[in-house]
Amino acid sequence: MTRPRPLQTAGRPAEGPLIELTDVRTHFATERGLVRAVDGVTLTIQRGRAVGLVGESGSGKTVLSRSIMGLLPRRGVVRSGSIRFEGTELIDAPRSTLRSLWGREMAMVFQDPMTSLNPLMRVGEQIAEPLRIHLGQSRAEARDTTIRLLTEVRIPSPAERLRQYPYELSGGMRQRVMIAIALACGPTALLADEPTTALDVTVQAQILALLSEERRERNMTLVLVTHDLGVVARHTDEVAVMYGGKVVERAPTAALFRRTRMPYTEALMRSIPTVDDPPHTRLAAIPGRPPDLVEPPPGCRFAARCAYARERCHAEEPSLVASSDDPDHHYACWYPVGTVEPVALRPADPAAVG
Amino acid sequence: MTVLRRLRRAGGWFAATWLVALVGLAVTAPWLPFVRAADEKVRVGGKLQSRYRLGPGRHALFGVDNSGFDIFARCIHYARNSLLVGVSATVIGLLVGGALGVAAGYFRGWVDRIVSVVIDCILSIPALVLAIVLVSRLDDIRQELPGLGWVTRRWQVVAALSLLAVAPLARIVRAQTLALREREFVLAARSLGATSRRVIATEILPNLVPTMVTVASTGLGLLIAAEGTLAFLGVGLGESWGYLIEANRRRLDKAWWATVFPCLMLFVTVMAFNLLGDRLSRRFDVREVIT
Amino acid sequence: MRYALQRIGQLLVVFVVVTFAVLVAMRLGAGGHRELARRMLGGNVTDQQVDEAVRRYHLDSNYLVQYLYWLKGFVTFDLGYSSANSMSVAKLLAPRFWTTALLGIYAIAVGLLLAVPAAVIQAHRRDSWIDRLGNVASFIGFGVPAIVLGIFLQLAFSLHWHLFPAIGDSIYPWQQFGAHVRNFLLPTLTLAIPQAAIYTRLLRADMVATLQRDFVVLASAKGMPTRRILWRHALRNSLLSIVTSVGTSLGGLLGGAVVVETLFDLDGIGSQMVISVLSRDLFTVQACVAFVVFIVVVVNLVVDLSYSLIDPRVRMARALA
Ligand SMILES: Nc1ncnc2c1ncn2[C@@H]1O[C@H](COP(=O)(O)OP(=O)(O)OP(=O)(O)O)[C@@H](O)[C@H]1O
Ligand SMILES: [Mg+2]
Repeated sequence: MTRPRPLQTAGRPAEGPLIELTDVRTHFATERGLVRAVDGVTLTIQRGRAVGLVGESGSGKTVLSRSIMGLLPRRGVVRSGSIRFEGTELIDAPRSTLRSLWGREMAMVFQDPMTSLNPLMRVGEQIAEPLRIHLGQSRAEARDTTIRLLTEVRIPSPAERLRQYPYELSGGMRQRVMIAIALACGPTALLADEPTTALDVTVQAQILALLSEERRERNMTLVLVTHDLGVVARHTDEVAVMYGGKVVERAPTAALFRRTRMPYTEALMRSIPTVDDPPHTRLAAIPGRPPDLVEPPPGCRFAARCAYARERCHAEEPSLVASSDDPDHHYACWYPVGTVEPVALRPADPAAVG
Repeated sequence: MTVLRRLRRAGGWFAATWLVALVGLAVTAPWLPFVRAADEKVRVGGKLQSRYRLGPGRHALFGVDNSGFDIFARCIHYARNSLLVGVSATVIGLLVGGALGVAAGYFRGWVDRIVSVVIDCILSIPALVLAIVLVSRLDDIRQELPGLGWVTRRWQVVAALSLLAVAPLARIVRAQTLALREREFVLAARSLGATSRRVIATEILPNLVPTMVTVASTGLGLLIAAEGTLAFLGVGLGESWGYLIEANRRRLDKAWWATVFPCLMLFVTVMAFNLLGDRLSRRFDVREVIT
Repeated sequence: MRYALQRIGQLLVVFVVVTFAVLVAMRLGAGGHRELARRMLGGNVTDQQVDEAVRRYHLDSNYLVQYLYWLKGFVTFDLGYSSANSMSVAKLLAPRFWTTALLGIYAIAVGLLLAVPAAVIQAHRRDSWIDRLGNVASFIGFGVPAIVLGIFLQLAFSLHWHLFPAIGDSIYPWQQFGAHVRNFLLPTLTLAIPQAAIYTRLLRADMVATLQRDFVVLASAKGMPTRRILWRHALRNSLLSIVTSVGTSLGGLLGGAVVVETLFDLDGIGSQMVISVLSRDLFTVQACVAFVVFIVVVVNLVVDLSYSLIDPRVRMARALA
């Protein structure tokens, strides 16, 4: 099958930083107190790269990616720091600025394709909507573009799909539609929040391959949120590992896998399923539970669950620093992997183990 | 947030105060020096103040009507009927509706089917239409069947309004009972061999109380409004706010007070019960709305 | 299709049970069938007329037979004889039907016109002062008795500002449009305000939930204008609750019509029913009640069936069933 030429990729600078995060904090006011879901993230995302955002459930990946988009609830959210997109400050930008970026400059693919499409709107219209509004296409043009997009995301017989409703499509098809929507106006950056967790294993691989391919062809920046380091290894150039609302290790993908520094990352790696595992094996979860985000522990947030933790780890918080031998490799750890021997874990919470 | 909460609390207090004052006045009216008898005509300096001569003021707080009766006095005396009829109908509605709802929800099967059809039928007739027809038919039937001499108009109105209260209460109670009977503590009690009567009395009923009280409170407001409406239409009681409104409304241009004050009494009382219901529903976290 | 038939069956049962109960209630208590006939015809009637009525309405049979003949009459618009007006009930009610139907339709339309924007704005600006104001307004609108509301509107618009007549006249739009509007405006408002309050409450709650759903967030992420998100994406998904609330509040609307027609002196089914009740005009009362129940049943059926028009999933599920 010959693939139609991607839309709108010309005329963009190919290099340089696209998204610059400085000390980004997103806290939620709740009855229990302030939930520090994202608590001081500094990160630069280069143009045209694929960046993985990994971490356990609850580590703040979704909140961080939604903070970048500016798609947070209006009420009960406290934000600070700086988020620059192509040099524009977004953190205190009016909603109109954000809206002019959404769809055109940055787009998002959500986790659950079952709930993310409007159940009462035909698929074709949901894709055509941004084309008509952002690009001012006529009805006929939008229809043609929609068909091209559906072909591009490999949906068979696209012309017929236009008239269908989401409930008539399978999960994988819906996620393809989501991707088509996100790609419609040729965004500079695509944020995909666990785009495959809700899908079957075989479909997962197809969707990820599709995303990677689109990124390369369009020279698009991709932020891929996942808790699966295996996915990261195959589909990203760089990785940021999140824990308890912070980035705890950041490196080019190859370097991260070659030389893991952060014990948390190492523990995550142990939970990657291998091909030999029978399907649907439960992953070896990291013992213990994620830190309380209302009153985080004083030292390293991972210390309570860390096999290498020493006194210092419980008392003093390590900051994200560049490795001495690789300036691109950053980690926040007093005793990186390989520098000390593991010790027996304190029997903190046996119930949470296993 | 706090402003709203304070406002709501103020509303609750206002409602409670109004209702307590109204009940107090209505009950003690015959002995209160500043409330005339309902059928005492107002005279100023020995001169009869009929034909709406007197507006609201010192001699008659709410003015007088065409025959020279004191609107304020009548409002207070007639409050008795509204409250009595409303409360009686609510009590009957709670007992009968509660019993039907619990029976249908707990025993299910044919009991449930019959109760449900009956509820559907009652609810398919607009409440007011049902009440009008019922009261007027009871008028005739009372005269035709022997041994019903003791039934007065008031009891007819109570009977009609009770029927209005039964249907929605039975429906809500049934739904709640259906949910409750599947809850762990009920299942536990049943698996331990408790009799149905015991389970209903000790496990189900106590859990129904908040909902029933809440619904009954708002319902009381609706029933009092219905009582006033029946009287307004000439099908209800003569000694009622609704009747005062009907009797005087055609002279709204000449003597607004004779219509407006009974309207206000009805309005504020109904709103007070609604406010109370609102407070209770927040307190007990009851979501059901009756329409 | 099966679902539709099932629903029609249920509603038919309700209609039959209710109209039968009304018939029995109306005819209960008379000494014998001749006595009953006399009462139904009212006034001074000859023995011959009584005999004819007994024959015609089968008053000497049991209630079930009488009901079947009544039902036959109902579907052929033979609704009996109005004793108070000395004319056929069908003829008496036909013009009155239009008054009530127009009032009802206007009230629902105006109610929606007030409620939908209010609910959408309230849900969009949740907990803002405008939302609170809306909540207070719908709380009052929900609770205020129709008589009180009608009197207050008369006081303000007819007596204070002299804008509309307080005492109406059933002028139809095809007779004199301007006069029709002037006569129907206050009655319509009196009926529409409580309706609007009910619609607003339900729709606001539904919209608040809808606005938090993923697909609405996605619509934002697509950069859709707020207006489009609210009206195209969210409201469309909350339509079900509007339709439902129109259906469930219809009884209140028709009850309100009785009050409003009486209060504003409009000749409708509601005011006629009150007059007939007071004059013991049994045929007319029975016809009015049956008619009102019929409307409730039909509207509920329409509401139910319209769900499938609104939601393609329901359409699909029912096609498969
Ligand atoms: N609106 C909110 N109000 C309060 N707390 C929130 C809110 N949204 C997220 N959180 C909290 O923020 C923390 C981070 O959540 P987030 O959804 O970003 O995790 P995640 O890394 O995406 O996890 P997952 O893999 O499960 O998607 C969680 O503890 C969550 O409870
Ligand atoms: Mg997430």
